[in-house]
Amino acid sequence: MRIKIVATVWLALLATAVSAQHTFELPIREHVFDNGLRLLVIERPETSRVVAKIFTDMGALNETPGQFGAAHFLEHLMFKGTPTLGSRDWERERQLHEEIQLAEDTLEEALNRERNALQQRGVFHEYQHELTTTEIEELRALIATLNSQVLELNDEGPMKKWYQAYGGTRLTATTEQEYMKFDLDLPANRIDLFLRVEADRMQNSVFRNFDAERMVLVEQRYGDLNRPVSSFREAMNSLVGRSSMVYVPEGYTNDFNQYTRRYEQALYENYFVPNNTTLILIGGVTLEAMIPKVDEFFGHMTRAPEPPRYQGREPLPSAEKRLLWRSDELPPRVEIRYQIPGVGHPDRPQFEVLAAALQPYLTAELESAGIVAKVDINTRVVHTSRFGVPASINFEIDLPSASVATRAEDVVLAALAAAVAKPLQREAIDMARKQLRSDWYRTAADPNALAFEIGHFEVMDSWRTLVPYLQARDATRAADVSRLIAKYFVPINRSVGVILPETGEAS
Amino acid sequence: MIGRITLLFLMAIATAAGAQNLTHPLKLGLPESDFVRPDPLDFEVALDNGLIAYVGRAGQVPLVTMSAFIRAGKANDEAEGSAEVLAHAMQTMGPASSTPAAFRDQLRGMTAEYKVDLHDDWMEVTLNVPAEDLEAALTLFRETLFNPVMSQAAIDGARDKTPADESDLGAESGAALYEGSMSLAVERFEDILFSKHPYGRKPRLTDFAALSPDDVSRFYETHFVPGNITLAIAGDIDESTMRGSIDEHFADLPAAEAPPAKRLPAIGALRKKRHEFPAEKLQSWLVFGHELPQVPLADEAALEVMNYILAGGHLYTRMTVVTRYLYGYTNDASGFLEDRWSGSGTYTFRSYSRPEVIEATYENMMTEIARVRAEKVTDEELFIAKGALTDGTFQVRYLDAYAATRDFALEQLRYGDHTRSASYIERIRALTAEDVLEAARKYIQPERMQVVLVGRE
Repeated sequence: MRIKIVATVWLALLATAVSAQHTFELPIREHVFDNGLRLLVIERPETSRVVAKIFTDMGALNETPGQFGAAHFLEHLMFKGTPTLGSRDWERERQLHEEIQLAEDTLEEALNRERNALQQRGVFHEYQHELTTTEIEELRALIATLNSQVLELNDEGPMKKWYQAYGGTRLTATTEQEYMKFDLDLPANRIDLFLRVEADRMQNSVFRNFDAERMVLVEQRYGDLNRPVSSFREAMNSLVGRSSMVYVPEGYTNDFNQYTRRYEQALYENYFVPNNTTLILIGGVTLEAMIPKVDEFFGHMTRAPEPPRYQGREPLPSAEKRLLWRSDELPPRVEIRYQIPGVGHPDRPQFEVLAAALQPYLTAELESAGIVAKVDINTRVVHTSRFGVPASINFEIDLPSASVATRAEDVVLAALAAAVAKPLQREAIDMARKQLRSDWYRTAADPNALAFEIGHFEVMDSWRTLVPYLQARDATRAADVSRLIAKYFVPINRSVGVILPETGEAS
Repeated sequence: MIGRITLLFLMAIATAAGAQNLTHPLKLGLPESDFVRPDPLDFEVALDNGLIAYVGRAGQVPLVTMSAFIRAGKANDEAEGSAEVLAHAMQTMGPASSTPAAFRDQLRGMTAEYKVDLHDDWMEVTLNVPAEDLEAALTLFRETLFNPVMSQAAIDGARDKTPADESDLGAESGAALYEGSMSLAVERFEDILFSKHPYGRKPRLTDFAALSPDDVSRFYETHFVPGNITLAIAGDIDESTMRGSIDEHFADLPAAEAPPAKRLPAIGALRKKRHEFPAEKLQSWLVFGHELPQVPLADEAALEVMNYILAGGHLYTRMTVVTRYLYGYTNDASGFLEDRWSGSGTYTFRSYSRPEVIEATYENMMTEIARVRAEKVTDEELFIAKGALTDGTFQVRYLDAYAATRDFALEQLRYGDHTRSASYIERIRALTAEDVLEAARKYIQPERMQVVLVGRE
């Protein structure tokens, strides 16, 4: 592949009048290969290691109902190896995978027949298609038998053990609504290993031991659901969003049983293409040295058709929505949410200052009303706090008693209205901005966290948005906060959840 | 038709694979590691009063982290609860020369991250601030460390954090739990193992009621002396200036020798026993193991490698293969070597899963324990573990000035020198499969394991 450009982009923030003393330099160097693969490098010659990440612009947003969690499952499957990593006899194994695929296709046909014949669709998990037939059971048994034959040909841990052997740490992967990423931190002079394994993973993953691995997903999901607050949060998410996939959790029990190899393969083929992929390296490497190396391992890949993009849009909000949640395991709470725009929209960075400034303001307002509450203002949905698509800002107010729930809500709404009429004090905004600067510095001090932010911005919008985002955040004024409240915190855009004990009413 | 599509897909894989560099990792010609552990003397500042600090520059961002490590923990107090009171006071009340509200305001004004961690044998106080607040932060740090609040209010504050329910700690099976979790299972395991041992002591309300500010003060004055503390300061600093600042802030402390290192009694050997704590949860949590005696330097490397091969945290290991990879029973099955400074630590194995497969998870983990005690590990396993430890986790301990200064400060406080880290790579590389087998037989004793299960069986 011809090496096209070496674009050196030094983004140094031109300070605004307000924050003249603060800069957010990110010496990111970029190279985009002919096949669309993007390489981003921050050179740190003083270190002998390198943080390496590979981001793919896909995630839960790209799933379809009934298959929630399938993108996360794909990440798990991509640890199962390739023909050249993990197989002791690929020719034999390949035949077995063909037989498994044939059996799965036949099984799906049988399942679909039963689904189409279904007359009774109950509310409380009484779906008749959970019943089975002799044919379905035989096909499942056949797949299990074939799978056990595959296992006899496999070496376990193929995508991890060589990383471990050569000093790799932070061997993790994550899939959220808008991205899948694989992470590594290894000696910089062994970067070839990362490139070799990841290029192979990106093109040649073999979905071994599919049915056992889906149970690992169930385990991870149970880990979430063991926390009582998880179910409440999911109910709040679904209250806020009517159609956007950003609010969907990582699979329901029914979904885990529905994943098929063919569905996972379609996700894999659509999205794991070079023009949908970003490599990020921070550490003891240079862009000049990395370009030929990346080319060696990824250069054979050809640009693919642009992957399909998520098109979901929330309908315009039309009325305030409310949820009453009964629980003796959770403290009484009032939670107020509003939809806010995604990263890339000029208002989005200012919401972070708004959250940091309103937290002490609302705490004090509640205290003045005699309510000692814990106020947490965040933008988290499922496990992520920033999105390229619209999501929500959440005012989570844990109360000392259920009896003050109504009053607490009134106090918060009145305080927000007051902050429109009379903007917050400048000192409060300055403190919020300083807090956010410190938070950013803590992120940037850790190459792993920094690489994540760069990759995350790339999938949300563009890595070039990151510094302007920080810049805009640091230039936010009290009047901006007032403007956001007036614009977004309107009744029809509001979702309110109240947690009360199982019995009794708030007075 | 569908079968043909599959075949075409697999052929496509083969075609792509043919064009791709798919050299096996072992044949990539990856270079030997050229890592050399940094020299602690390059970071060290030794004051005449016995206090040793490690200073390093990490100038990527305008932040500074300062940490103090004190060789005094929960097991060191003569009057039960003294350590907890001091830790609570340092976390929430700050120096005696200020007020708790002013202390909190000052931290907030600096947008500081501040924490006090109390362990069994040692304590850590860490403050991270923007570089613009360095001077004020150093003063606050010094004052909090060397002039902390030790009042009745501090005792009351620590008392109020203590749960009123004192039942069931260290008790037998059967207590009903409403919140199942791994940390709870570990806590139950330690309650059982350290029952009646100093490491198992937990101050109760009655202990705080009996405690006086003088008790806290005695604990403080015995342990918070320059010879018993090390510092680590790293970030966006001028190292030379910082050396001067350390002298300015800490050299006036009167010299005092560290109190003699405490030697705690050994834990009496327990016979294997199962302890069940029912909880209605979607998963069950499993912790099993036994005490870990103080490990001599000669055994450390073999023990670490053995544990890595058997159950190194959330990686490709024997336990992961037989629980997660092959059967999908769990997300994780790992081994934890947790030594302590003055007595026996713990060696535990932990996992969690759906209740219906928790027994199978346990059985498979035990099978691997038996195997690692019966057979030598393979050459490949040894190769992986050695590389992971020497070129991976060990290097990360010195990744930047933050990590290096912290590592050196803790090593100095615990061992009094840096010989362990100096010889680490050499000791790991010299290991043989026989050494690993010997470590497994010596340090894993299935017949003494306490098995804690939280959740549904």
